[in-house]
Amino acid sequence: MSAPLIQNENFVKVAAPLGVGILFLLFWEIAVQALEMPKYILPGPVEIFKALIDGWQPLLGALYITLKVTFLAFAIAVVLGVAASLLFVQSKWIEMSLFPYAVLMQVTPVVAIAPLIIIWVDDTTWALTVCAVIIAIFPIISNTTLGLRSVDPNLLSMFRMYRTSRWQELVRLRIPGALPYFFGGLRISSGLALIGAVVAEFVAGTGGAKAGLAYMILQSGYNLQIPRMFAALLLITLTGIALFALMVWLSNRALHNWHESALEVEH
Amino acid sequence: MTRSKVTPLKATPVDDSAAELAHTDSNGNPRPVLQVEGVNKIYSNGTVALKGADLTVRQGEFVSLLGPSGCGKSTLLRIMAGLGDVTTGTVKFWEQGYDVVGDKGRKLAFVFQNATLMPWARVRKNVRLPLDLEHQRGPEVETKIDDALEMVGLKGFDHAFPRELSGGMQMRASIARAMVTEPNLLLMDEPFGALDEMTRNKLNDDVLKLWQKNGWTIVFVTHSVYEAVYLSSRVVVMAARPGRIVDDISIDQPFPRNADFRVSTEFAGYCRQVSQALERASAMGQPQEIKA
Repeated sequence: MSAPLIQNENFVKVAAPLGVGILFLLFWEIAVQALEMPKYILPGPVEIFKALIDGWQPLLGALYITLKVTFLAFAIAVVLGVAASLLFVQSKWIEMSLFPYAVLMQVTPVVAIAPLIIIWVDDTTWALTVCAVIIAIFPIISNTTLGLRSVDPNLLSMFRMYRTSRWQELVRLRIPGALPYFFGGLRISSGLALIGAVVAEFVAGTGGAKAGLAYMILQSGYNLQIPRMFAALLLITLTGIALFALMVWLSNRALHNWHESALEVEH
Repeated sequence: MTRSKVTPLKATPVDDSAAELAHTDSNGNPRPVLQVEGVNKIYSNGTVALKGADLTVRQGEFVSLLGPSGCGKSTLLRIMAGLGDVTTGTVKFWEQGYDVVGDKGRKLAFVFQNATLMPWARVRKNVRLPLDLEHQRGPEVETKIDDALEMVGLKGFDHAFPRELSGGMQMRASIARAMVTEPNLLLMDEPFGALDEMTRNKLNDDVLKLWQKNGWTIVFVTHSVYEAVYLSSRVVVMAARPGRIVDDISIDQPFPRNADFRVSTEFAGYCRQVSQALERASAMGQPQEIKA
């Protein structure tokens, strides 16, 4: 009937890292207690959890602001990035003229240009969003462009034989073929959007009602509320993991019928 | 009439009697489907891929292009398909009821060495692709797809994805896709080269059956002497450096052909004849300094 759980690969896949995590937290808590570490230097997991519960209202508020900027930036990066890729594949000339500027945008550290953007854009939320878009857009552009170009040359020949319009070629051939690359870009870009939102806020140093998780970390640092600092950090990490999982799920949903990346390997 | 746009060989009016007559030419041969005249193909780096290629393919023929690698057989096939420009020379197409039709009358299908299916689309959607590209819709389109799938033996696999099919079945889907447009010329570029021998023989037999049953005209590129002799009504032998046609051998054996033909003395005789022609062709293509 039921084989020992240890032989179930899916169980092990979840249980093994979970076990390591629990052991680590236990060790952390015991070490902190044994060494009588003051909590303004290194709080234990219990203390951090308490801070999360006690401060849930400001933390959740800050999480909401950070999520808003992240999703806004991610959405804009996807739309603009895909639009840029579609433009690039229209002609080699357009790509050659514009692609270096996409690279330029990518290699310029956002921390360095964030102060400028914050001066130029009045609204803080939008200023942060612009910074996050600049970070998040490049993987979308480069992956989607690569995908749109990676067409089976024989299939392309076939389309040419039937004198297909460029539009048909794009819709029936290039776009479906580019989907695996696009989803690969999404995975990277979603994480970068979050990083962009947090980093930009560190630089902007927003305050008051519009403060996100980054500001929460800064402020907790000033006030030596180290457990809350850890709680905010935990929320950022969880957001990143959730985003990544969402992208993997989306990608598998879209590609599960045909693409190697989404296939279940049977032994 | 749009015919005036192309260079007519003979300005015969198009009516029923002329259409009947157009099946054969003045010598009683089947009418040509495709005529390649003095085609040269020189790449920008100076490589002569084809030199003075002349070839007439007639209605109902099964012509194999056979030759060593680099002899331009695939290049010639792609030129016939309109997939490559010629440096000089012409390629003309005929269509039923017309004497000469230029590019417009070209109604052909191409089967590549790989199945070349869209991996994201199910078999049925792959097969209907040419009809979709020609904006054909309606119940008769569905019937055409059903017929094509049944003829290649893929009935019931409509909703399979290409990756779920074996290599041979993927090729069958590829052939079904070529069939749906009812092409007057089917071009096949080493279609079964990547398959194991048993699958290959089976598919060869099936293609022969379909060819006979539907009255197709096929140009088939291969590097196998046995395959060429078994399938063809005519074997065109090519040589390399520069790529050119050096021999044109009729295989005057009746169809349908089957396993018995493979072991007959006639088959062996034709294989010897074609092999010798191929050897001569290969010798011609050797660089001078290697020659003894």
